Amino acid sequence: MLEYWTAILTEATIFGVLALGIDMIWGWAGDFDLSAYAYFALGVYMTIVMTVGKAKAPVEYVLGWHLPYLLAVAIAVVVVVAFASMIGAVALRNLRDVYFSITTLGAVWAVYYLVENFTPLFNGYNGVFGLFDPMGGGLSYNAYHYYFFAFCLLVLFLVYLLVMRLSRSPFARMVRAVRDDERAASVYGRNVFWAKYRTYLCGAGLAGLSGGLFAAYIGAFNPLDWKPTEIFVLYAAILVGGRGNPRGVVLGSFIVYVGFVEMTRYIPSPAARPELGPALRQILIGLLIILMLKFRPNGLLPERLGTDGTNPRRSWRALFSRSKFLRDPREDDAVADPADAVES
Amino acid sequence: MSTALLEIEGLSKSFGGVVAVDNCSMTIREGSVVGLIGPNGAGKSSVIDLVSGFEQPTSGSVRFDGVDVVGKRPDQISRMGLIRTFQTPREWRDLSVIDNVRVGRSDLERESLWRSLTSARRLRRQEALDTQELRELMEHYRLDELRNSRAEGLSGGQKRLLEFARIAAAKPRLTILDEPMGGVNPVLGERIGEAIRELKQAGSTVVVVEHNLPFIERTCDEVVVMDLGSVIAQGRFDELRDNKRVVDAYLGNDDE
Repeated sequence: MLEYWTAILTEATIFGVLALGIDMIWGWAGDFDLSAYAYFALGVYMTIVMTVGKAKAPVEYVLGWHLPYLLAVAIAVVVVVAFASMIGAVALRNLRDVYFSITTLGAVWAVYYLVENFTPLFNGYNGVFGLFDPMGGGLSYNAYHYYFFAFCLLVLFLVYLLVMRLSRSPFARMVRAVRDDERAASVYGRNVFWAKYRTYLCGAGLAGLSGGLFAAYIGAFNPLDWKPTEIFVLYAAILVGGRGNPRGVVLGSFIVYVGFVEMTRYIPSPAARPELGPALRQILIGLLIILMLKFRPNGLLPERLGTDGTNPRRSWRALFSRSKFLRDPREDDAVADPADAVES
Repeated sequence: MSTALLEIEGLSKSFGGVVAVDNCSMTIREGSVVGLIGPNGAGKSSVIDLVSGFEQPTSGSVRFDGVDVVGKRPDQISRMGLIRTFQTPREWRDLSVIDNVRVGRSDLERESLWRSLTSARRLRRQEALDTQELRELMEHYRLDELRNSRAEGLSGGQKRLLEFARIAAAKPRLTILDEPMGGVNPVLGERIGEAIRELKQAGSTVVVVEHNLPFIERTCDEVVVMDLGSVIAQGRFDELRDNKRVVDAYLGNDDE
Protein backbone atom coordinates (compact mmCIF):
# COMPACT_ATOMS: atom_id res chain seq x y z
CA MET A 1 0.00 0.00 0.00
CA LEU A 2 2.83 2.37 0.85
CA GLU A 3 4.42 1.75 -2.54
CA TYR A 4 1.09 2.45 -4.16
CA TRP A 5 0.74 5.80 -2.43
CA THR A 6 4.32 6.71 -3.21
CA ALA A 7 3.66 6.05 -6.87
CA ILE A 8 0.50 8.16 -6.93
CA LEU A 9 2.08 11.03 -5.05
CA THR A 10 5.15 10.94 -7.30
CA GLU A 11 2.87 11.24 -10.29
CA ALA A 12 0.96 14.13 -8.70
CA THR A 13 4.25 15.85 -7.93
CA ILE A 14 5.51 15.51 -11.50
CA PHE A 15 2.25 16.78 -12.91
CA GLY A 16 2.38 19.62 -10.37
CA VAL A 17 5.52 20.89 -12.13
CA LEU A 18 3.76 20.59 -15.49
CA ALA A 19 0.66 22.37 -14.15
CA LEU A 20 2.80 25.24 -12.85
CA GLY A 21 4.22 25.63 -16.34
CA ILE A 22 0.84 25.52 -18.06
CA ASP A 23 -0.54 27.96 -15.52
CA MET A 24 2.13 30.52 -16.43
CA ILE A 25 0.95 30.36 -20.03
CA TRP A 26 -2.78 30.24 -19.31
CA GLY A 27 -3.14 31.80 -15.88
CA TRP A 28 -0.72 34.66 -16.26
CA ALA A 29 -0.62 35.33 -19.97
CA GLY A 30 -4.16 34.12 -20.74
CA ASP A 31 -3.18 31.88 -23.63
CA PHE A 32 -5.09 28.59 -23.65
CA ASP A 33 -2.26 26.45 -24.92
CA LEU A 34 -2.99 22.88 -25.96
CA SER A 35 0.49 21.86 -27.06
CA ALA A 36 2.08 21.66 -23.60
CA TYR A 37 1.68 17.88 -23.62
CA ALA A 38 3.96 17.75 -26.65
CA TYR A 39 6.61 19.63 -24.66
CA PHE A 40 6.11 17.24 -21.79
CA ALA A 41 6.39 14.22 -24.10
CA LEU A 42 9.42 15.63 -25.87
CA GLY A 43 11.01 16.06 -22.46
CA VAL A 44 10.34 12.40 -21.66
CA TYR A 45 11.62 11.11 -25.00
CA MET A 46 14.73 13.26 -25.01
CA THR A 47 15.64 12.27 -21.46
CA ILE A 48 15.29 8.59 -22.26
CA VAL A 49 17.21 8.61 -25.55
CA MET A 50 20.04 10.57 -23.95
CA THR A 51 20.48 8.17 -21.03
CA VAL A 52 19.80 4.60 -22.15
CA GLY A 53 22.57 4.20 -24.73
CA LYS A 54 22.59 2.89 -28.29
CA ALA A 55 19.45 1.40 -29.75
CA LYS A 56 19.59 -2.32 -30.50
CA ALA A 57 17.74 -3.52 -33.62
CA PRO A 58 14.84 -3.72 -34.25
CA VAL A 59 14.44 -0.83 -31.81
CA GLU A 60 15.59 2.49 -33.26
CA TYR A 61 15.80 6.03 -31.96
CA VAL A 62 17.95 9.12 -32.28
CA LEU A 63 21.04 9.96 -30.22
CA GLY A 64 21.31 6.88 -28.00
CA TRP A 65 23.69 8.59 -25.64
CA HIS A 66 24.73 7.49 -22.21
CA LEU A 67 24.63 10.78 -20.32
CA PRO A 68 24.11 11.21 -16.59
CA TYR A 69 20.41 11.63 -15.82
CA LEU A 70 20.49 15.22 -14.55
CA LEU A 71 22.54 16.42 -17.51
CA ALA A 72 20.12 14.69 -19.88
CA VAL A 73 17.15 16.42 -18.21
CA ALA A 74 18.88 19.79 -18.52
CA ILE A 75 19.54 19.24 -22.23
CA ALA A 76 15.98 17.99 -22.72
CA VAL A 77 14.65 21.23 -21.22
CA VAL A 78 16.81 23.25 -23.62
CA VAL A 79 15.57 21.21 -26.59
CA VAL A 80 11.95 21.62 -25.49
CA VAL A 81 12.34 25.39 -25.10
CA ALA A 82 13.95 25.61 -28.54
CA PHE A 83 11.06 23.63 -30.02
CA ALA A 84 8.47 25.76 -28.18
CA SER A 85 10.17 28.90 -29.43
CA MET A 86 9.23 27.88 -32.98
CA ILE A 87 5.60 27.03 -32.19
CA GLY A 88 5.24 30.07 -29.96
CA ALA A 89 6.68 32.37 -32.61
CA VAL A 90 3.98 31.28 -35.04
CA ALA A 91 1.05 30.92 -32.65
CA LEU A 92 1.59 34.03 -30.52
CA ARG A 93 2.50 36.53 -33.21
CA ASN A 94 -1.01 37.47 -34.30
CA LEU A 95 -3.30 34.71 -33.06
CA ARG A 96 -5.31 34.98 -29.87
CA ASP A 97 -7.99 33.10 -27.97
CA VAL A 98 -9.51 30.21 -29.85
CA TYR A 99 -7.28 30.74 -32.90
CA PHE A 100 -4.21 30.38 -30.72
CA SER A 101 -5.65 27.22 -29.15
CA ILE A 102 -6.45 25.70 -32.54
CA THR A 103 -2.93 26.37 -33.77
CA THR A 104 -1.34 24.78 -30.73
CA LEU A 105 -3.74 21.85 -30.98
CA GLY A 106 -2.63 21.37 -34.58
CA ALA A 107 0.99 21.48 -33.45
CA VAL A 108 0.56 18.82 -30.77
CA TRP A 109 -1.22 16.41 -33.11
CA ALA A 110 1.41 16.96 -35.79
CA VAL A 111 4.09 16.05 -33.28
CA TYR A 112 2.04 13.11 -32.05
CA TYR A 113 1.62 11.52 -35.47
CA LEU A 114 5.18 12.29 -36.44
CA VAL A 115 6.49 10.50 -33.35
CA GLU A 116 4.09 7.60 -33.85
CA ASN A 117 4.86 7.02 -37.51
CA PHE A 118 8.45 8.11 -37.99
CA THR A 119 10.21 5.29 -36.16
CA PRO A 120 13.84 6.49 -36.49
CA LEU A 121 12.93 9.34 -34.15
CA PHE A 122 11.65 7.65 -30.98
CA ASN A 123 10.88 4.11 -32.17
CA GLY A 124 7.37 5.09 -33.28
CA TYR A 125 4.40 3.26 -31.91
CA ASN A 126 6.43 0.94 -29.69
CA GLY A 127 8.21 3.76 -27.92
CA VAL A 128 11.45 3.92 -26.01
CA PHE A 129 12.32 2.23 -22.73
CA GLY A 130 15.06 1.13 -20.43
CA LEU A 131 15.54 4.05 -18.06
CA PHE A 132 15.68 2.72 -14.52
CA ASP A 133 17.48 3.86 -11.44
CA PRO A 134 18.73 7.10 -12.95
CA MET A 135 20.49 8.07 -9.73
CA GLY A 136 22.76 5.07 -10.23
CA GLY A 137 22.74 4.15 -6.55
CA GLY A 138 22.08 0.47 -7.04
CA LEU A 139 19.11 0.71 -4.72
CA SER A 140 16.42 -1.90 -4.46
CA TYR A 141 13.31 -1.34 -6.50
CA ASN A 142 11.22 -0.05 -3.59
CA ALA A 143 13.90 2.05 -1.96
CA TYR A 144 14.55 3.66 -5.32
CA HIS A 145 10.94 4.72 -5.57
CA TYR A 146 10.98 6.39 -2.16
CA TYR A 147 14.15 8.27 -3.03
CA PHE A 148 12.80 9.26 -6.38
CA PHE A 149 9.61 10.57 -4.78
CA ALA A 150 11.69 12.68 -2.40
CA PHE A 151 13.69 13.94 -5.36
CA CYS A 152 10.52 14.91 -7.26
CA LEU A 153 9.15 16.66 -4.19
CA LEU A 154 12.36 18.63 -3.92
CA VAL A 155 12.18 19.63 -7.58
CA LEU A 156 8.52 20.63 -7.22
CA PHE A 157 9.37 22.68 -4.15
CA LEU A 158 12.22 24.51 -5.89
CA VAL A 159 10.12 25.12 -8.99
CA TYR A 160 7.29 26.36 -6.79
CA LEU A 161 9.61 28.82 -5.03
CA LEU A 162 10.87 30.16 -8.35
CA VAL A 163 7.41 30.44 -9.86
CA MET A 164 6.05 32.05 -6.70
CA ARG A 165 8.88 34.58 -6.74
CA LEU A 166 8.20 35.33 -10.37
CA SER A 167 4.46 35.47 -9.79
CA ARG A 168 4.87 38.38 -7.38
CA SER A 169 7.36 40.21 -9.57
CA PRO A 170 6.87 43.25 -11.81
CA PHE A 171 7.35 40.87 -14.75
CA ALA A 172 4.26 38.82 -13.88
CA ARG A 173 2.26 41.95 -13.17
CA MET A 174 3.08 43.22 -16.64
CA VAL A 175 2.20 39.85 -18.20
CA ARG A 176 -1.15 39.90 -16.38
CA ALA A 177 -1.80 43.43 -17.61
CA VAL A 178 -1.16 42.20 -21.15
CA ARG A 179 -3.60 39.35 -20.49
CA ASP A 180 -6.33 41.68 -19.26
CA ASP A 181 -6.06 44.20 -22.09
CA GLU A 182 -3.23 44.01 -24.54
CA ARG A 183 -4.13 47.18 -26.41
CA ALA A 184 -3.95 49.14 -23.18
CA ALA A 185 -0.67 47.41 -22.34
CA SER A 186 0.86 48.44 -25.64
CA VAL A 187 -0.37 52.00 -25.07
CA TYR A 188 1.82 51.95 -21.98
CA GLY A 189 4.88 50.77 -23.85
CA ARG A 190 4.66 47.00 -23.39
CA ASN A 191 5.65 44.75 -26.26
CA VAL A 192 2.72 42.35 -26.19
CA PHE A 193 4.27 39.56 -28.24
CA TRP A 194 7.54 39.61 -26.32
CA ALA A 195 5.72 39.49 -22.96
CA LYS A 196 3.62 36.51 -24.01
CA TYR A 197 6.52 34.79 -25.76
CA ARG A 198 8.83 34.88 -22.75
CA THR A 199 6.07 33.52 -20.53
CA TYR A 200 5.35 30.80 -23.07
CA LEU A 201 8.97 29.66 -23.14
CA CYS A 202 9.13 29.58 -19.33
CA GLY A 203 6.00 27.42 -19.23
CA ALA A 204 7.35 25.12 -21.96
CA GLY A 205 10.60 24.78 -20.03
CA LEU A 206 8.72 23.57 -16.97
CA ALA A 207 6.77 21.14 -19.16
CA GLY A 208 10.08 19.77 -20.43
CA LEU A 209 11.40 19.49 -16.88
CA SER A 210 8.35 17.56 -15.72
CA GLY A 211 8.85 15.30 -18.75
CA GLY A 212 12.40 14.68 -17.59
CA LEU A 213 11.11 13.59 -14.19
CA PHE A 214 8.38 11.46 -15.71
CA ALA A 215 10.96 9.67 -17.86
CA ALA A 216 12.64 8.32 -14.74
CA TYR A 217 9.30 7.55 -13.11
CA ILE A 218 7.84 5.54 -15.93
CA GLY A 219 11.06 4.20 -17.50
CA ALA A 220 9.36 3.48 -20.82
CA PHE A 221 7.33 5.77 -22.99
CA ASN A 222 5.25 5.32 -26.12
CA PRO A 223 2.49 7.29 -27.85
CA LEU A 224 -0.19 5.47 -25.85
CA ASP A 225 1.18 7.14 -22.73
CA TRP A 226 0.51 10.66 -23.87
CA LYS A 227 -2.75 11.28 -25.61
CA PRO A 228 -2.73 15.06 -26.22
CA THR A 229 -6.27 15.28 -24.82
CA GLU A 230 -4.90 14.34 -21.39
CA ILE A 231 -3.99 18.01 -21.06
CA PHE A 232 -7.55 18.72 -19.97
CA VAL A 233 -6.86 16.87 -16.74
CA LEU A 234 -4.15 19.45 -16.09
CA TYR A 235 -6.50 22.28 -16.92
CA ALA A 236 -8.95 20.72 -14.46
CA ALA A 237 -6.20 20.73 -11.83
CA ILE A 238 -5.46 24.41 -12.48
CA LEU A 239 -9.17 25.31 -12.38
CA VAL A 240 -9.71 23.47 -9.11
CA GLY A 241 -6.67 24.93 -7.42
CA GLY A 242 -6.87 28.46 -8.72
CA ARG A 243 -5.74 29.78 -12.05
CA GLY A 244 -2.88 32.23 -11.68
CA ASN A 245 -2.00 31.25 -8.11
CA PRO A 246 1.00 28.86 -7.94
CA ARG A 247 -0.02 27.65 -4.48
CA GLY A 248 -3.48 26.81 -5.78
CA VAL A 249 -2.09 25.09 -8.86
CA VAL A 250 0.02 22.72 -6.75
CA LEU A 251 -2.97 22.04 -4.49
CA GLY A 252 -5.16 21.41 -7.52
CA SER A 253 -2.67 18.97 -9.03
CA PHE A 254 -2.71 16.87 -5.87
CA ILE A 255 -6.49 17.00 -5.57
CA VAL A 256 -7.07 16.00 -9.17
CA TYR A 257 -4.30 13.41 -9.51
CA VAL A 258 -4.79 11.77 -6.15
CA GLY A 259 -8.52 12.37 -5.68
CA PHE A 260 -9.85 11.94 -9.15
CA VAL A 261 -7.45 10.15 -11.43
CA GLU A 262 -6.28 7.55 -8.94
CA MET A 263 -9.09 7.11 -6.45
CA THR A 264 -11.58 6.62 -9.25
CA ARG A 265 -9.67 3.50 -10.23
CA TYR A 266 -11.52 1.89 -7.36
CA ILE A 267 -14.84 2.41 -9.08
CA PRO A 268 -16.00 -1.17 -9.58
CA SER A 269 -16.66 -2.29 -13.12
CA PRO A 270 -18.92 -5.24 -13.81
CA ALA A 271 -16.92 -8.12 -15.25
CA ALA A 272 -18.84 -7.88 -18.50
CA ARG A 273 -18.06 -4.19 -18.92
CA PRO A 274 -14.45 -3.56 -17.86
CA GLU A 275 -14.39 -0.23 -19.67
CA LEU A 276 -17.05 1.24 -17.38
CA GLY A 277 -14.63 2.31 -14.63
CA PRO A 278 -12.25 4.31 -16.83
CA ALA A 279 -15.21 5.87 -18.65
CA LEU A 280 -16.75 6.94 -15.34
CA ARG A 281 -13.43 8.47 -14.43
CA GLN A 282 -13.48 10.66 -17.53
CA ILE A 283 -17.05 11.66 -16.77
CA LEU A 284 -16.17 12.55 -13.18
CA ILE A 285 -13.31 14.77 -14.31
CA GLY A 286 -15.59 16.48 -16.80
CA LEU A 287 -18.17 16.95 -14.08
CA LEU A 288 -15.52 18.39 -11.79
CA ILE A 289 -14.58 21.00 -14.39
CA ILE A 290 -18.20 21.97 -14.93
CA LEU A 291 -19.00 22.23 -11.23
CA MET A 292 -15.88 24.26 -10.52
CA LEU A 293 -16.66 26.65 -13.35
CA LYS A 294 -20.20 27.02 -12.11
CA PHE A 295 -19.58 27.46 -8.41
CA ARG A 296 -15.99 28.49 -7.94
CA PRO A 297 -14.56 29.67 -11.24
CA ASN A 298 -11.55 31.24 -9.55
CA GLY A 299 -10.57 27.96 -7.91
CA LEU A 300 -9.96 27.14 -4.26
CA LEU A 301 -7.10 29.64 -3.99
CA PRO A 302 -7.79 32.46 -6.44
CA GLU A 303 -5.12 34.60 -8.02
CA ARG A 304 -3.72 37.10 -5.55
CA LEU A 305 -4.21 40.78 -6.11
CA GLY A 306 -1.07 42.88 -5.92
CA THR A 307 -1.63 45.34 -3.10
CA ASP A 308 0.43 48.07 -1.48
CA GLY A 309 1.11 45.84 1.51
CA THR A 310 -1.17 47.68 3.96
CA ASN A 311 -3.93 45.15 3.47
CA PRO A 312 -2.32 41.73 3.13
CA ARG A 313 -4.85 39.31 1.75
CA ARG A 314 -3.86 35.76 2.52
CA SER A 315 -4.99 33.48 -0.21
CA TRP A 316 -6.05 30.72 2.20
CA ARG A 317 -8.61 33.11 3.61
CA ALA A 318 -10.15 33.29 0.19
CA LEU A 319 -11.10 29.64 0.66
CA PHE A 320 -13.88 30.80 2.94
CA SER A 321 -15.05 33.79 0.97
CA ARG A 322 -17.54 33.66 -1.82
CA SER A 323 -16.18 34.04 -5.30
CA LYS A 324 -16.95 37.45 -6.70
CA PHE A 325 -17.28 35.95 -10.15
CA LEU A 326 -20.52 34.35 -9.08
CA ARG A 327 -22.05 37.73 -9.75
CA ASP A 328 -22.95 38.54 -13.28
CA PRO A 329 -20.32 41.06 -14.41
CA ARG A 330 -23.04 42.93 -16.27
CA GLU A 331 -24.55 43.86 -12.91
CA ASP A 332 -21.47 45.90 -12.22
CA ASP A 333 -21.92 47.87 -15.38
CA ALA A 334 -25.59 48.43 -14.69
CA VAL A 335 -24.91 50.10 -11.37
CA ALA A 336 -21.87 51.95 -12.64
CA ASP A 337 -22.69 55.55 -11.92
CA PRO A 338 -20.01 58.14 -12.60
CA ALA A 339 -21.32 60.10 -9.62
CA ASP A 340 -19.95 57.39 -7.31
CA ALA A 341 -16.48 58.52 -8.17
CA VAL A 342 -17.15 62.04 -7.03
CA GLU A 343 -19.11 61.23 -3.93
CA SER A 344 -16.98 58.44 -2.59
CA MET B 1 5.28 80.31 -30.29
CA SER B 2 6.43 76.91 -29.17
CA THR B 3 7.71 74.09 -31.32
CA ALA B 4 5.64 71.45 -33.05
CA LEU B 5 5.38 68.18 -31.11
CA LEU B 6 3.18 66.30 -33.55
CA GLU B 7 3.18 66.97 -37.28
CA ILE B 8 0.74 65.13 -39.50
CA GLU B 9 1.10 65.61 -43.22
CA GLY B 10 -1.00 64.33 -46.08
CA LEU B 11 -2.19 61.39 -44.01
CA SER B 12 -4.60 59.00 -45.75
CA LYS B 13 -6.12 55.69 -44.80
CA SER B 14 -8.65 53.62 -46.65
CA PHE B 15 -10.30 50.42 -45.47
CA GLY B 16 -11.20 48.65 -48.69
CA GLY B 17 -13.23 51.20 -50.60
CA VAL B 18 -13.93 53.41 -47.58
CA VAL B 19 -11.65 56.41 -47.25
CA ALA B 20 -11.52 57.08 -43.50
CA VAL B 21 -8.75 59.64 -43.53
CA ASP B 22 -8.15 61.71 -46.66
CA ASN B 23 -5.03 63.83 -47.02
CA CYS B 24 -5.22 65.06 -43.45
CA SER B 25 -2.63 67.53 -42.17
CA MET B 26 -2.31 69.20 -38.78
CA THR B 27 0.32 70.43 -36.38
CA ILE B 28 0.08 70.16 -32.60
CA ARG B 29 2.29 72.60 -30.73
CA GLU B 30 4.09 71.52 -27.60
CA GLY B 31 2.35 72.57 -24.40
CA SER B 32 -1.07 73.20 -25.91
CA VAL B 33 -4.42 71.57 -25.23
CA VAL B 34 -6.07 70.93 -28.57
CA GLY B 35 -9.65 69.87 -29.15
CA LEU B 36 -10.23 67.60 -32.14
CA ILE B 37 -13.86 67.83 -33.20
CA GLY B 38 -15.98 66.83 -36.14
CA PRO B 39 -19.16 64.94 -36.90
CA ASN B 40 -19.35 61.16 -36.45
CA GLY B 41 -17.35 59.43 -39.15
CA ALA B 42 -15.11 62.46 -39.74
CA GLY B 43 -12.04 60.29 -39.16
CA LYS B 44 -11.00 61.53 -35.72
CA SER B 45 -10.56 58.11 -34.15
CA SER B 46 -8.86 56.81 -37.30
CA VAL B 47 -6.31 59.62 -37.07
CA ILE B 48 -5.62 58.66 -33.46
CA ASP B 49 -5.15 55.01 -34.45
CA LEU B 50 -2.72 56.06 -37.19
CA VAL B 51 -0.75 58.35 -34.92
CA SER B 52 -0.49 55.81 -32.10
CA GLY B 53 0.51 52.95 -34.38
CA PHE B 54 -2.61 50.78 -34.13
CA GLU B 55 -3.23 51.26 -37.85
CA GLN B 56 -0.78 51.90 -40.68
CA PRO B 57 -1.56 54.77 -43.08
CA THR B 58 -2.05 54.21 -46.79
CA SER B 59 0.08 57.31 -47.37
CA GLY B 60 1.36 60.39 -45.60
CA SER B 61 3.63 61.00 -42.65
CA VAL B 62 3.37 61.37 -38.89
CA ARG B 63 6.26 62.99 -37.04
CA PHE B 64 6.34 62.87 -33.28
CA ASP B 65 8.97 65.13 -31.77
CA GLY B 66 10.70 65.27 -35.13
CA VAL B 67 10.84 61.48 -35.61
CA ASP B 68 8.82 59.68 -38.27
CA VAL B 69 6.69 57.13 -36.45
CA VAL B 70 4.92 55.52 -39.41
CA GLY B 71 5.61 51.77 -39.32
CA LYS B 72 6.43 51.69 -35.63
CA ARG B 73 4.47 49.49 -33.23
CA PRO B 74 2.17 51.11 -30.64
CA ASP B 75 4.49 50.18 -27.78
CA GLN B 76 7.48 51.75 -29.55
CA ILE B 77 5.58 54.98 -30.11
CA SER B 78 4.39 54.90 -26.51
CA ARG B 79 7.94 54.64 -25.25
CA MET B 80 8.70 57.85 -27.12
CA GLY B 81 6.20 59.53 -24.81
CA LEU B 82 2.78 59.21 -26.39
CA ILE B 83 -0.14 57.85 -24.37
CA ARG B 84 -3.63 57.55 -25.80
CA THR B 85 -6.97 56.42 -24.44
CA PHE B 86 -9.85 54.65 -26.10
CA GLN B 87 -13.52 55.60 -26.18
CA THR B 88 -14.27 53.27 -23.28
CA PRO B 89 -11.97 53.08 -20.25
CA ARG B 90 -9.59 50.15 -20.54
CA GLU B 91 -8.48 49.17 -17.10
CA TRP B 92 -6.57 45.93 -16.45
CA ARG B 93 -9.53 44.36 -14.75
CA ASP B 94 -7.93 41.58 -12.72
CA LEU B 95 -5.20 43.82 -11.37
CA SER B 96 -5.72 45.91 -8.25
CA VAL B 97 -6.23 49.63 -8.67
CA ILE B 98 -2.75 50.37 -7.34
CA ASP B 99 -1.22 47.84 -9.73
CA ASN B 100 -3.01 49.52 -12.61
CA VAL B 101 -1.29 52.76 -11.69
CA ARG B 102 2.02 50.97 -11.12
CA VAL B 103 1.94 49.43 -14.58
CA GLY B 104 1.00 52.89 -15.88
CA ARG B 105 4.24 54.17 -14.44
CA SER B 106 5.97 52.05 -17.09
CA ASP B 107 9.12 51.19 -15.23
CA LEU B 108 10.18 48.81 -17.96
CA GLU B 109 13.61 47.96 -16.57
CA ARG B 110 12.07 46.42 -13.49
CA GLU B 111 10.08 44.01 -15.61
CA SER B 112 13.11 42.10 -16.82
CA LEU B 113 12.48 38.38 -16.41
CA TRP B 114 16.02 37.82 -15.24
CA ARG B 115 15.97 40.55 -12.61
CA SER B 116 12.57 39.38 -11.39
CA LEU B 117 14.16 36.01 -10.62
CA THR B 118 17.53 37.10 -9.31
CA SER B 119 16.91 40.34 -7.44
CA ALA B 120 13.32 40.01 -6.31
CA ARG B 121 14.00 41.59 -2.93
CA ARG B 122 15.69 44.65 -4.38
CA LEU B 123 12.79 45.13 -6.79
CA ARG B 124 10.31 44.88 -3.92
CA ARG B 125 12.22 47.53 -1.97
CA GLN B 126 12.23 49.83 -4.98
CA GLU B 127 8.52 49.35 -5.42
CA ALA B 128 7.85 50.09 -1.76
CA LEU B 129 9.59 53.43 -2.22
CA ASP B 130 7.06 54.42 -4.89
CA THR B 131 4.04 53.48 -2.84
CA GLN B 132 3.78 56.85 -1.10
CA GLU B 133 3.91 58.73 -4.39
CA LEU B 134 1.32 56.42 -5.95
CA ARG B 135 -1.01 56.79 -2.97
CA GLU B 136 -0.86 60.56 -3.20
CA LEU B 137 -1.72 60.26 -6.87
CA MET B 138 -4.67 58.01 -6.09
CA GLU B 139 -5.79 60.25 -3.26
CA HIS B 140 -5.86 63.03 -5.81
CA TYR B 141 -8.18 61.02 -8.06
CA ARG B 142 -10.29 59.80 -5.13
CA LEU B 143 -9.18 56.21 -5.61
CA ASP B 144 -7.07 55.74 -2.49
CA GLU B 145 -9.76 53.86 -0.57
CA LEU B 146 -10.11 51.45 -3.46
CA ARG B 147 -6.40 50.98 -4.13
CA ASN B 148 -6.29 47.34 -3.06
CA SER B 149 -9.45 46.22 -4.79
CA ARG B 150 -9.88 44.71 -8.21
CA ALA B 151 -10.12 47.34 -10.94
CA GLU B 152 -12.99 45.47 -12.54
CA GLY B 153 -15.28 46.42 -9.66
CA LEU B 154 -14.92 50.17 -10.16
CA SER B 155 -17.84 52.21 -11.42
CA GLY B 156 -17.71 53.71 -14.89
CA GLY B 157 -16.72 57.09 -13.50
CA GLN B 158 -14.03 55.66 -11.26
CA LYS B 159 -12.59 53.86 -14.27
CA ARG B 160 -12.30 57.20 -16.06
CA LEU B 161 -10.45 58.63 -13.08
CA LEU B 162 -8.21 55.56 -12.91
CA GLU B 163 -7.32 56.21 -16.53
CA PHE B 164 -6.21 59.73 -15.61
CA ALA B 165 -4.25 58.49 -12.60
CA ARG B 166 -2.49 56.02 -14.87
CA ILE B 167 -1.65 58.75 -17.40
CA ALA B 168 -0.40 61.05 -14.64
CA ALA B 169 1.85 58.23 -13.42
CA ALA B 170 3.19 57.66 -16.93
CA LYS B 171 4.12 61.36 -17.39
CA PRO B 172 3.71 61.35 -21.19
CA ARG B 173 4.82 64.15 -23.50
CA LEU B 174 1.66 63.87 -25.56
CA THR B 175 -1.70 62.59 -24.31
CA ILE B 176 -4.49 61.83 -26.76
CA LEU B 177 -7.89 61.41 -25.11
CA ASP B 178 -10.61 59.77 -27.20
CA GLU B 179 -13.96 61.05 -25.89
CA PRO B 180 -13.06 61.31 -22.20
CA MET B 181 -16.55 62.66 -21.44
CA GLY B 182 -18.47 59.70 -22.89
CA GLY B 183 -21.13 58.62 -20.39
CA VAL B 184 -19.93 61.04 -17.75
CA ASN B 185 -22.15 63.21 -15.56
CA PRO B 186 -21.57 67.00 -15.27
CA VAL B 187 -19.91 66.87 -11.84
CA LEU B 188 -17.37 64.28 -12.94
CA GLY B 189 -17.02 66.25 -16.17
CA GLU B 190 -15.68 69.17 -14.15
CA ARG B 191 -13.17 66.85 -12.54
CA ILE B 192 -12.04 65.58 -15.93
CA GLY B 193 -11.60 69.12 -17.23
CA GLU B 194 -9.46 69.79 -14.19
CA ALA B 195 -7.46 66.60 -14.82
CA ILE B 196 -6.71 67.78 -18.36
CA ARG B 197 -5.46 71.14 -17.08
CA GLU B 198 -3.30 69.29 -14.55
CA LEU B 199 -1.82 67.18 -17.32
CA LYS B 200 -0.90 70.38 -19.14
CA GLN B 201 0.67 71.80 -15.98
CA ALA B 202 2.66 68.62 -15.58
CA GLY B 203 4.16 69.28 -18.99
CA SER B 204 2.06 67.12 -21.29
CA THR B 205 0.59 68.30 -24.54
CA VAL B 206 -3.02 67.14 -24.78
CA VAL B 207 -5.28 66.33 -27.72
CA VAL B 208 -8.95 65.81 -26.81
CA VAL B 209 -11.47 64.24 -29.14
CA GLU B 210 -14.89 65.23 -27.86
CA HIS B 211 -18.43 65.96 -28.96
CA ASN B 212 -19.24 68.13 -25.97
CA LEU B 213 -18.50 71.59 -27.42
CA PRO B 214 -18.94 73.66 -24.24
CA PHE B 215 -16.40 71.36 -22.63
CA ILE B 216 -14.00 71.86 -25.55
CA GLU B 217 -14.48 75.62 -25.32
CA ARG B 218 -13.66 75.65 -21.60
CA THR B 219 -10.74 73.26 -21.75
CA CYS B 220 -8.86 73.73 -25.00
CA ASP B 221 -6.53 76.46 -26.22
CA GLU B 222 -7.12 75.54 -29.81
CA VAL B 223 -9.52 73.48 -31.90
CA VAL B 224 -9.01 71.34 -34.99
CA VAL B 225 -12.16 70.59 -36.98
CA MET B 226 -12.33 67.50 -39.17
CA ASP B 227 -14.90 66.47 -41.74
CA LEU B 228 -14.88 63.67 -44.31
CA GLY B 229 -11.40 62.54 -43.30
CA SER B 230 -9.54 65.82 -43.52
CA VAL B 231 -8.98 68.96 -41.48
CA ILE B 232 -11.26 71.80 -42.51
CA ALA B 233 -10.19 74.37 -39.95
CA GLN B 234 -7.79 74.95 -37.10
CA GLY B 235 -7.77 77.86 -34.67
CA ARG B 236 -9.25 79.33 -31.49
CA PHE B 237 -12.77 78.22 -30.67
CA ASP B 238 -14.36 81.68 -30.88
CA GLU B 239 -12.75 82.29 -34.29
CA LEU B 240 -14.16 79.06 -35.67
CA ARG B 241 -17.69 79.75 -34.48
CA ASP B 242 -18.09 82.15 -37.39
CA ASN B 243 -16.36 79.93 -39.95
CA LYS B 244 -19.01 78.99 -42.50
CA ARG B 245 -17.50 75.60 -43.40
CA VAL B 246 -17.26 74.58 -39.79
CA VAL B 247 -20.81 75.60 -39.07
CA ASP B 248 -22.11 73.74 -42.11
CA ALA B 249 -20.09 70.62 -41.47
CA TYR B 250 -20.60 70.25 -37.80
CA LEU B 251 -22.20 72.87 -35.64
CA GLY B 252 -25.09 73.45 -37.98
CA ASN B 253 -25.89 69.80 -38.32
CA ASP B 254 -25.54 68.98 -34.70
CA ASP B 255 -28.05 69.35 -31.93
CA GLU B 256 -25.48 71.15 -29.88
